[in-house]
Amino acid sequence: MSNAVKVQPRKKPLLPRIKNYAGFYIMALAVLAFLVIFHYLPMFGIAYSFTKYTIIKPPVWVGLKNFERLFGMPNFWSAFSNTIQLSVIKLLLTTGFSVILSLLLNEMNNIWGKKLSQTIIYLPHFMSWVVTASVFQLILSPTGQGLVNSILMNLGIIDKGIYFLGSSATWQGAYYVINIWHDTGWGTIIFMATLTGIDPGIYEAASIDGAGRWKKMWYITLPSLANTIITVLILNLAKIMNLFESVFVLQNDAVMDVSQVLQTYVYYQTFNSGGIPDYGYTTAIGLFRSMVGLFLMLVCNYASKKVRGRGIV
Amino acid sequence: MEATNTNIKPRKKPFKISVFPIVNGILFVIICLVILIPIWKVLVDSFDLTTGYGMKLWPDNFGLEGYQTVLTNPSLVTPLKNSVITTVCGTLLGLTLSTLGAYVLIQWDMPGRGLFAGLLMFTMIFSGGMIPSYIVMRNLGLTNTLLGVILLPAINVYNLVLMRNFFEGIPTSLFESATLDGCTPFKIFYKIVLPLSKAALASIGLMFAVSYWNDYTNYKLYITKANLYNFQMKLRSMMMGSNLPTAIGSATENTVQNAAVIVAILPFMILYPFLQKYFVKGINIGAVKE
Amino acid sequence: MKKLLTLVLALVLCMSMFTASADVEKPEKITIFIDGTVVTEPNGQAQFEAKWEELTGIDLEIIQPDHDAYYDVLQQQIASGDWPDVLILSSTYYAAYANEGVLWDMTEAWENSATKNSGRMKNESVIDGLKINGRLYGFADGIGGGCVTYVKKAWLDAVNMEAPTNWEEYAAMCDAFVNNDPDGDGVKDTYALTAAGFIGTEAPYINYLPEFYQDAYPSFYMNAEGKWVDGFSEPAMKAALERLAEGYAKGWIDPTTLTNGTKDCRNKFYDDTTGVFTYWAGTWATNLKNNLISNNRDPELVPLAPLAGAPGYFDRTPPVWAITSTCENPEGVFTWFIDTILDGGDIQFLWTYGVENVHWSRKAETVLGVEYAEGQFHMAENLETPGTAYTKNHSDPVSTLAYFADGYYTDEFIDPVTVMIQPENVASSNLFAANSRAAWLVPSTDVMSTYNGDLTTLKNELIAKVAMGEMTYDEAMAEYAKQGQAWSDMIVESLNAAK
Repeated sequence: MSNAVKVQPRKKPLLPRIKNYAGFYIMALAVLAFLVIFHYLPMFGIAYSFTKYTIIKPPVWVGLKNFERLFGMPNFWSAFSNTIQLSVIKLLLTTGFSVILSLLLNEMNNIWGKKLSQTIIYLPHFMSWVVTASVFQLILSPTGQGLVNSILMNLGIIDKGIYFLGSSATWQGAYYVINIWHDTGWGTIIFMATLTGIDPGIYEAASIDGAGRWKKMWYITLPSLANTIITVLILNLAKIMNLFESVFVLQNDAVMDVSQVLQTYVYYQTFNSGGIPDYGYTTAIGLFRSMVGLFLMLVCNYASKKVRGRGIV
Repeated sequence: MEATNTNIKPRKKPFKISVFPIVNGILFVIICLVILIPIWKVLVDSFDLTTGYGMKLWPDNFGLEGYQTVLTNPSLVTPLKNSVITTVCGTLLGLTLSTLGAYVLIQWDMPGRGLFAGLLMFTMIFSGGMIPSYIVMRNLGLTNTLLGVILLPAINVYNLVLMRNFFEGIPTSLFESATLDGCTPFKIFYKIVLPLSKAALASIGLMFAVSYWNDYTNYKLYITKANLYNFQMKLRSMMMGSNLPTAIGSATENTVQNAAVIVAILPFMILYPFLQKYFVKGINIGAVKE
Repeated sequence: MKKLLTLVLALVLCMSMFTASADVEKPEKITIFIDGTVVTEPNGQAQFEAKWEELTGIDLEIIQPDHDAYYDVLQQQIASGDWPDVLILSSTYYAAYANEGVLWDMTEAWENSATKNSGRMKNESVIDGLKINGRLYGFADGIGGGCVTYVKKAWLDAVNMEAPTNWEEYAAMCDAFVNNDPDGDGVKDTYALTAAGFIGTEAPYINYLPEFYQDAYPSFYMNAEGKWVDGFSEPAMKAALERLAEGYAKGWIDPTTLTNGTKDCRNKFYDDTTGVFTYWAGTWATNLKNNLISNNRDPELVPLAPLAGAPGYFDRTPPVWAITSTCENPEGVFTWFIDTILDGGDIQFLWTYGVENVHWSRKAETVLGVEYAEGQFHMAENLETPGTAYTKNHSDPVSTLAYFADGYYTDEFIDPVTVMIQPENVASSNLFAANSRAAWLVPSTDVMSTYNGDLTTLKNELIAKVAMGEMTYDEAMAEYAKQGQAWSDMIVESLNAAK
């Protein structure tokens, strides 16, 4: 322990520093073991991106052909931009609403009201997308059976039912609303947990200084959530191109121009090809999605470093 | 403290105190109602022996046959047992890995920390794909075992990073003083980090538990033996039942399906109140410090 | 040249007959890979397996993944080299796997099989339809099946009409079903029919709205001259789209057809929102009836023969049993597994109804409130879903390809079909059998897999928009000419070249 006498521990030579952290390396090793077995061992599969592989015969090297095919798809760019648009707006809306709900829940003093509200707002997360879609198709139906339209018609706001999920003009809006319904409540879990970590002493001090409810919310609560909000947003950016199920169950023939995302596009392409899926092509698309996710994450991480002085991990 | 006693008044300004909670309360009543409407539709249909398309406030023809079919089913016992085993073991393992990984991640000066973080993030973005995963699982002898569906989802980088986010909120001064007192990293981990992170453990634990309980993908890809299926798989096969030739659509086909949707939510409704106490405001870092 | 070829073929055939009749080695163990169309584990699969092993003396290993994930798991197994001896394949996978050489060529084995030569075959053309370039790689034990149109008898009576036989009568019926209060509740709240979208997602695409499409087929098909064509630009499509637009505009077709799911359509039929429903023939006729009864509606349904001038309903290509090319003893597996599925005796009975006292019984007992006398055949209560009864195991007793052997059924042991299969099932099955045509098995080409996704999306969009009155036929065709025609031409060319 001769190093202990050194004045500036940060400039210790590497080896003793490693020794200092020995316990942590053991912990890291446990995590890495799982990572290697379940994530890195299967990574050899990424190589299939450059092959034609129908599973039955050994993969045949085709170079960048799968990517050429992907980028050559007639409506590739429209599907690409729909994916980005739908998932970014969805992400911002659901996260934004989650934050607002968390702030309001946090202000609720009635403990039973709070518990009950929390339990209820989590429920939609447990409904599968197939069930969600079928229920909302009914609620948003243009006929008298549709709850929303019959309310609007009874109020005299409209005189003919709007086919929310059946027309390109309204589909995206309906899609966002359904996603807010489905995901917002569940999203509050992480924010609520963060809020419990705020030292009540800070609120007391602020009250003493005469800060009102809104001031405290704005200057204490929200900033303590900032870190979590940014982390959640950036983590979700990595998965942005994976958008599939929620769109797939809600789209229909008349709204393809606004609802076709990359994953549904590829699904229909394979489904209508009359052949069996080419696993190489599917993998190539996965790799492309990963690259987009990586790019978005790096950009945001960079921005985060610039603004806050450090990245997300 | 005595000096500030006279200044505490602003909190008790009558109009501020009375208006906001009422507005907030009403707002939540509305929010909860809006959230419940679609679920109400499923709930009503699950009690309704008459099959209809539209929305109803109450069942036309009330009956419990749907739930009877789902809940009294003798073949639900094994799936339920499998679900409980995998959810409990998986959640514990998932929490262990997430907290360990997150604890390592907040060691900002640790040599190799960046590499560790990079290795984690890489798997969040890139994956080998379905078939290579299967081949690895098969070669490890993890297909057709519950161990496989426990181990595979236990490492979840998303949850790990969120956990690190919570750990970051713990003042570094606590670690420093503990280190000076001669605590080992492990001791600091379970004496300081874990007790201070109850809300985090509850929320991330809940996310793990729900994903294990609802797991369907891993079961359908890695398990071909029906006696290893979990509750979720079983409910799904009941919901799909009428599309398969071995069962005829009974008179209550629709009722059974809706009952299965509701039954899938039940375990969460039962479990959640127990977790809720950890979400209550006021786990005060300052208090633990003393 | 041709003569020589036939001679050679005949010779090969003779030789293969000799080799086949030479003793085929009986396999010790057969591994099969099956989807959810065979009894599942909670439904008594172990007893089924034991009974099959008892009847054949062969060890049977069943691998049955979740029904929804069947092809994902199959791909994994194939990729990892764990090939089963026998597997079930849908028509698409069957054609593709056969092309890739995964499947054992069973042409000769079939020619010499006990089943083919038994004289019990009802419909051999189904097996012939499975041949790819004249070679057979799979075996089906039943027809593919398809949809027929059911009309509620009570609604016809309420509006004083007979079942329609041509488009004019059909249109008049639809109109009456919308405007003449067929459900008698005094409110104009009915539609004639609904469907899950204006066009189906799977071949044969038009099977849920046959009266409107009639002879039009929006995808690729082989015409009378043996050439592949794109049905979307054929003249028949114009009339079809105009019928759809008329039906939608006049309120015959449910306004939410675009977004309906199949389950929504069933529920709307049960709760008297609609009176006409095109759905599966056979078992579903009974299902529809039962659901109408439990909803307190009149359960009598009239299955409709195709309207005058319209070709018949579509019969899908059935899923097949195939033997893998890595199977060590394919002849043995064929003889002892495939060739026994329709053996006309106990094994066929096992595949059709399952195991005695598990899936069916002749004991004196009460099942689901119905009392049965000693010796009376009846299906047992479903183990997985109590409250329902089994209807069959894998093979459908009505749509099976072979009859049971003469003398198998006696006065003591009567054919269950005569007592168990409901008359509406038989009626719809027979009507379907008499009025159906086989769907086309469209081959896959590279051009197809590049462009058909976009082309189909475009076609479906245009169909929906014309049907909903957002576009006229001519506008749609102009759009099609601009965007889709080039893709369509390329695909047609590739299909005809591949032939």
